[in-house]
Parts: sequence; structure tokens; C-alpha cells
Amino acid sequence: MKIQVVTILTIIIAGVFATGAIAAGEGDAGESLVFPASYKAGSVSNGGTITGTVKFEGEAPSMKKLEITKNPEVCGLTDKLDESVVVGEGNALKNTIVYLMDISSGDGFAKDKKVKYQIDQKGCQFNPHVQLQPVGQRLTMLNPDKIMHNVHIFSKKNPAYNKSQPGSRRRMPVKAVKKAEGPVAVKCDVHGWMKAWIAYIPHPYFAVTDENGVYKLENVPPGTYKLGYWHEACGTNNDAPVSVTVDAGGSVMQDFSLSLKK
Amino acid sequence: MTRTLYHKSGVNYMSSPLRQWNQSESNLLMNRLFVKKSLTICIAGLLLLPAIIAYPVFAQGKSAPAASEAGKALYIDKCAHCHGVEGAGDGSAAENLLPRPRDFTSGLYKIRSTESGNLPTDQDLFEVISKGMPGSSMPAWEGLLSEDERWSLVAHIKTYFEDFEGASPRVIDLSGKVPYSEESVAKGKEFYAKLGCVECHGALGRGDGTSAPDLTDHWEFLTWPANMEHSWNYRGGSATEDIFKRFIGGISGSPMPAFVSSFRVGLTDAEAERITELEAKDEMTEEEETEYAELEEKAIYYEDIMLDIEEGKEVTADDLIKFDEAMKPIFEKSWHLANYVKSLGSEGRPPAAVGDKVLRSQYRLGDLPGLNDAAWGEIEEASYFPLVGQVVIEPRQFNPSIDSVTAKSFYNDSEVAFLFQWDDRTKTLPQEDDETGVTVEDAITVQFPVKVPKSPTDPKPYFIWGDGRRPVYLWHWKIAEADKISEMNAKGIDNASVQESQSQIQVGGVYEDGRYRLWVKRALKTEDKNDLQFEPGTFIPIAFSVWDGANGDVKSKRAISTWYTFVLDPVPSNKRFVYPPLVALISVGFLYGLRGGVKRRVNTNST
Repeated sequence: MKIQVVTILTIIIAGVFATGAIAAGEGDAGESLVFPASYKAGSVSNGGTITGTVKFEGEAPSMKKLEITKNPEVCGLTDKLDESVVVGEGNALKNTIVYLMDISSGDGFAKDKKVKYQIDQKGCQFNPHVQLQPVGQRLTMLNPDKIMHNVHIFSKKNPAYNKSQPGSRRRMPVKAVKKAEGPVAVKCDVHGWMKAWIAYIPHPYFAVTDENGVYKLENVPPGTYKLGYWHEACGTNNDAPVSVTVDAGGSVMQDFSLSLKK
Repeated sequence: MTRTLYHKSGVNYMSSPLRQWNQSESNLLMNRLFVKKSLTICIAGLLLLPAIIAYPVFAQGKSAPAASEAGKALYIDKCAHCHGVEGAGDGSAAENLLPRPRDFTSGLYKIRSTESGNLPTDQDLFEVISKGMPGSSMPAWEGLLSEDERWSLVAHIKTYFEDFEGASPRVIDLSGKVPYSEESVAKGKEFYAKLGCVECHGALGRGDGTSAPDLTDHWEFLTWPANMEHSWNYRGGSATEDIFKRFIGGISGSPMPAFVSSFRVGLTDAEAERITELEAKDEMTEEEETEYAELEEKAIYYEDIMLDIEEGKEVTADDLIKFDEAMKPIFEKSWHLANYVKSLGSEGRPPAAVGDKVLRSQYRLGDLPGLNDAAWGEIEEASYFPLVGQVVIEPRQFNPSIDSVTAKSFYNDSEVAFLFQWDDRTKTLPQEDDETGVTVEDAITVQFPVKVPKSPTDPKPYFIWGDGRRPVYLWHWKIAEADKISEMNAKGIDNASVQESQSQIQVGGVYEDGRYRLWVKRALKTEDKNDLQFEPGTFIPIAFSVWDGANGDVKSKRAISTWYTFVLDPVPSNKRFVYPPLVALISVGFLYGLRGGVKRRVNTNST
């Protein structure tokens, strides 16, 4: 009950602020994630967990079937759907980034070499649709399609990236970036319908909701934080982030209910 | 002792460090090298000496002076109309321009001599300002502004993007240039197909690839792949070096990627092929696993160096030398590709159909050639008609996508045939325009006056579809009815009508590899007084309007030409047999008369 009230209030406040921002001509600034001025990675003891579900408010738009304009023998084997709004059972909203806006110290990124940062382009579709990419780490683009793709990353703060990945290159490493940014679009110009997002993140307290709309931020140092979200079609709560307090070893639930921008 | 290293970002990583010793960017390197007097480096330097001698040093050119108020004032005066007061590419004229004026705040520059992901050099910016960008609205300022003024503009536009501060972009090494040869062109052609150039630029390079219609730039504005035959439109010049640089480094802000990544650095062709082959397998045997791991290790070693360099990390001199060596075959292949692309283009834009280039219909005995007849090849050079956007009457076309039509013609005693050609990147059958909702399609009109002016100084009809006093006669062809031409008359752009009685006109129209070919054959004379009657030896005005549906062309929004001249060559054959005997006869008659006269006078005198 309490969560619902908070959520509704959040949406109302966010709505008011968002309108103000657009009126002031700052609509664009609201599209990005908010990063801390600096971040110090170290060890965290007795960290807590923030978890919750993101739901889509109202009637979910149906996912438009994308027109496969070329290489149907590879790209057209399965139907490709517009993934800008993916709503599952119980209105669960996939591909929402939920994160801590103002954390200044905490965990580093997993050292485990098994953690691979990669985007697959199989069948001319990016997977995942929203990639969390640590600053300073290389991304690998996979191309099992045996046809040419070009990896075009529309960075603004970091140098934009656009390189060809011919069918003969199954795996192509992409250089690491220096600045936190995004999410920025990644596209393949050869197959114009291919589009995904990369968020260059400076700390590990970011999560993307799964098909059940669930996110989970783990090992959060005890404290009070601003909890933000970003969704491609639903926007952000940059103007009114939710305040959450994490107790040592504790667990906090925070759900969100999002609707389409404007 | 550690092998000391130097900072990458200042150095052209494709060339050896000492090759660049005279460049300002490498002062840091020089200090390190000689101040530290590292023995290792000295030895490395000695080893590299032959390289210094073997490769010419390419000057990166001058650096811009400090930004000045004068530069800013000049910018506001000359550049801001298109590029915007704040440099964001949003000046008052921007909306009507495509390609759009550059947004300097993005740091994305198309024409660079530098690696992918790098800013341009100051010299690059200076060159673009000086020479302009062919095929776009950017003029050449060379004759209009002094060198100092142009440099002050370079300094000023750099202030719009903070990363220019202290940047030392990596320059693409051009030292391994492969000279132009048929052999190199043939190799390049293979890469053209293999590397995926064809996806956007099309099989014959006319910019008609299957990905072409959907391309947008960094700002989501429509953009087209280059038509490599129309190389005079290349924004950054059509020299082989220019093509090479675009291929290696890409064109920032456009869909054109850097293709240097097409090759596996450090692997031979056989190894690269093997690795692809192994990767394609669902399951590998133990032997294959080992083989794969070895190849991968080798590939990753070089890939890591490349990424380190791209990320601005330090790389050992040793690694760098190996890497430079490993890049050589990649560069060689890229030169072949550049030579091939160069072979597709012409040296400059063809001269327009004026003077000795006017469209002449050649007389031919017997049947005229059809659409696909080889006989058209007998006319070596087609007449070239440049097109511009129609901007006189609303709706206007500020950004025409079709820049020319060419034509050849033959005639015989009763008919005249034409072969018109024009390049269009997309075949657009009637469809709704995304923006306006109006039905658009590809089409052309060939325009003649109804009555040919008696002398060249007499007024012609208004060049866009005539006027009230001087109507024009039009052949209107559209893709939806490719085997038909409508005869029309027009007394102005809004005052055209299809003729009630249509003459017998034979037509053949095809679209192939980014090019329309339209064949038209009509009788020289018709019964209709609203038709043009073709008269050998008469100078007949001719003009064109072309619609590219995919470019939103409809009604007056189209590409047009001004009036040019068309003439059916005077028939040589008949007259050759008529005039000389006639002259001979008259001469004989005259002489005979003269003789008679003289005889009479002599007779008279004698009496």
C-alpha cells in the first residue's frame, strides 16, 4: 500500500517536473542517466539489497513487427519485433534500467573473467536490447550471421564509434570508453531496423529489468540513495528520483509504474 | 631495464615512431627519447633508421593559431548563416540544406586524415574550408578569404568542441601506397564485393545498395551512399588517397564505417579464413580446439595492441614495431580497394552539352537501334545535361538527388530515337511519401518547344514548362507505366495537360544497378500541330525534369535542367548526289551562255 502511494506520488511529481523541463527546453537532458561526480571502488561489508518490479501503466502497446528489408535468408528466419516497449505477464516492463544516482563509493565491477560484456547480433537483432557497459571495459560484438554488420555507437561524450564487422568476423572487440554516458544508441546501418542501447556506467549499481520486470541491486553499502530509472519509451525520473534507505544487510523493495512519455 | 614507452595518443600508430620526428605532436616523444637516453630506445631507433629513409615523411601540415575575436567575427559573418551562431549546425539556412551544415559541437567531422574515433587535424579543417565540399552547399573559401583568415576560422570552430583541447589525433599512414594498375584494380574489386561495400554502394558502385534507402546520419537526417561513378561529388576529394582515408577511417557522423576492422590484424589470409571456418563449426574436435586457441591467441595479441592504441594506453616500442608490420598487408589490401573505387569514377564532372558537345542525332540508314542494341555504343560519348533543384516555384527542391541526365540519338528518314540515362539510387514505384502523404514516384519529362525559334536569338519558352505565349511539348514517362509516354503540352508549371490525341511513340524503360535507361522512338513528322516536328539541320531546344520519388519529388519539387540544344545532323547522303551535279550543270549552262554571248558579239563586231 505504502509503496503504491509512493509510486503514484512519484509519477505525479515526475510528471509535473517533466512538463516543466520540457517547457524550459531541457527535455533532452532528462533522457540520460545521472552519474555521481566521482566514484571510489572498494570493498563493501554488510551490504543490503534493493529489489523490485517495474510495471507498465495502462494498456501495453503491441510490439510492431519490423520490416525486414534485406538479407531475409538470415534476418527473416524469425519475426523481429520493435523492442522499444516490451511488456510481459502482469504488465511487467522489460529493459528498464534501475540504478543509484548518487552513490560515491562501494563495490567495484566483478573481477570474474567469466563475466563477459557482449552484444550478440544473431539474426540481425541486438541482444541484449539494453547493455550495461562498465567504463574502462571492452565490449565484444558477436556476429554469427556470416553477413556484414556495422557497429555504429552514437556516443556524444565519448568518441562516436562506427566500424564494419564483416561476416567473417564472429567476434569483434570494441574499445573501452573513458566517460560515463548514456544510454546511447547502437545501430547497424546495413540493417536499418537494428537498434539497441548501451549505458556506459561508472559503478556497478545498475540493473536492467528482466522479462518479469524484476531488477536487483546487490551489496549496496548501507545509506540513503536516490533511486533512478530509465526506459527508452517511458523516460526517466531524473527530476524526482525515489529516496531509498538501505540498512546493513537489509533488503528494500521499491516498485515502479511507468507510462509512455508525453 | 624496462622498455620505455611513449604515449600513444600523440603518435601515428600506423607508422614507426621516429618517422614522425619532425612533427610537433611528437615533441613529447622526442623529449622522452633523448632526455631519457634510454639505451633500448636508441637501439630501436637505429633499427628503425632504414624505415625513416624508406618512407617519406608526411607532413601533417600547420597547426591552427590561438582562437581569436577576429576569427569569431569572421565566423559570425561568413559561417553562422548555415552553421549557427553557436556552431550547432542550425543556422537560418540549415533547414533547406541536405547534407546539413556540420554541427561543430558534436566533434564529428566527415573529412579526416585520421583514424576512426579521432578528431580531424587542423590541416584537415583548413582544407575543407579552403576547398569546400563538392556535392554539398559548402563553398570553397580559398579565393574569398585569405589564408590567415581561414586559419582563424579553424581555430574558432575548434572552440565548439572541448576535446580539441590538447588533442593529437592519430594520422592514417599513407606511405604504403600501391600505385594504380589494372592488377591492383582487379584485386580491389574482389574486396569491394567481399567486404560489404556493395550493401550500400551497390554492385556497380552507383550508391544503389539494398541498405541505401534507409540510411540516416547521426542527427537522423536522410543521407545517401556515394555514387562512385559521380566521383566529382566526393565531399573530401576524389584522389586515391582521399578514398583510402575514407575507407580506413570512415566518415564520422555518417553510416560509413571504418573498414580497417574488416581484416584480422596479425593473421595471414589463410589463418583468418581458418579461424572463421572453425568458428562456424557447431563442435570442434580436440585438435581443432587447440588449433583455434593458438590462432585466437595470435589474433588477440595484435587486437589488444590495436585496442590499447585506440584507448590511448601505452604500448611498448617492441609491440608497436610488430604491430606496424602486421598492419602492412591490411593497408596494401585497402590500397587495392581504393584503386578500384578510383577506377569507377571519372576525372571531374563531364562537360555540359554545349558547344561541340551538343546533342546531335546521327543519321542512319534503315532501322533505328532499340533499347538494348549494341549500336548505341557507336556514339562514344553521350551528351551530358546537369540538373539542379527547382527552386523558383513552390514546392521547391533544394536538395535534388539526381544530378544529371545523359542522352544519345539516331534518326533516319522517317523516325528519331533517343536513349536517355540517369542515375537514381532507388527505384520508387508509386507510394505515399513518409513526410507529406502525397503519392510520389520516379519520372522524367523531356521538353521541347512546340515551335522551334527561328533564330537562336529569338526567345524560347520559359525553361520550366513554358509560358502562355510559348507552349512546350513534353514527353512524360513514369515508372508505373514504363512502356508508355504521355504527350503533353504545357504553358507553365501549373498549366500542363495531356494531349487528347497521342502520337505513336515507342518506349522502353528499365531500372538496373542504380540507373534508369529510357528509349523513345517517334516519327519525325506528326499530324498534330501541338507536337514538335523534327526537322534535320534545325537547332531544337531541349530540357529535362526528373523526379526521384524516394527524395520526395512531386509536381514542381524536382530536378530540372535549363534549355540545351538538340540537332538532327544534316543528311549528308542525298545532298551529295544532288548539289554537285546541279552546280556543274549551272556552271556548264553559264559557260555555254557566256560562250554564246561572246560568239554573238564577235559576229556582230565582224559585221
